[in-house]
Amino acid sequence: MSDLFATMKISGAGMRVNTERINVIAQNAANADTAPQKAGDLPYTRKTIQFKNVLDKETKQKLVAVDKISDDNKTEYKKKYMPGHPAADENGFVQMPNVSTIVEMMDMKEASKSYEANMGIYTQTRDMASKTIDLLR
Amino acid sequence: MTIENISLFQAMNAKMNYLAQRQKVISQNVANADTPGYMSQDLAKADFSRMVANVNHNKMHVTLEASNPLHQLPPDQSPTPREFKNTKPYEVEPGGNSVNLEEQMVKASDVQMNYTLMLNLYRDAADMIRTSLGKKA
Repeated sequence: MSDLFATMKISGAGMRVNTERINVIAQNAANADTAPQKAGDLPYTRKTIQFKNVLDKETKQKLVAVDKISDDNKTEYKKKYMPGHPAADENGFVQMPNVSTIVEMMDMKEASKSYEANMGIYTQTRDMASKTIDLLR
Repeated sequence: MTIENISLFQAMNAKMNYLAQRQKVISQNVANADTPGYMSQDLAKADFSRMVANVNHNKMHVTLEASNPLHQLPPDQSPTPREFKNTKPYEVEPGGNSVNLEEQMVKASDVQMNYTLMLNLYRDAADMIRTSLGKKA
């Protein structure tokens, strides 16, 4: 039985990190048009999230946790022609965030599928545990 | 005579423990489906035939009582399966992650089916004993 409860804890951790991931994705999507304040400043930079597998000392189980949330410095910033914008350079271009809404949407789909997978394992394990307890009847 | 001393129940108990342990390993894989460098794991197949062989021969073992933690107990007949890295995963992602959610779901449903089978067998065997004791099942 203790293995079953540990399983529920592990799936719970899996759901938590995916919530965190959806948070980051929502932040990226919301800031897809956040331009810099003045010329020369950098616009909003896309954030990425990484997971890692750590040993939880309390329960002695290996749980998944958020490793780090870092800036995506590899994707190029977009350039948009807006001569009237306060952040426009001498040629009239404004640096825009390196966020692609389509990529974020796909990431969001993947995160929610991962969440559902963890939820599936959780429900299944809960059923197994409750059926075992039903043996008492 | 408690129910644990009947080797049929012992075997079913061992199998249920094994299945719960395997479910834990699977849940760990699902939780780490997006962890870079995580290789999916599984539990080695366990052979319970030796335990069930006792049921057929109807051996009643007489064992020494262990009244001190230093006393050596007779070898436990239930197999102890070990965890191993899955060397032949369906696929490996560029990030070095070899968890395939479909593969894990297939394994999880296999575990659940076996677990339900064990629960039903356990209930039927217990009902049989109850009937022989003259109580309503």
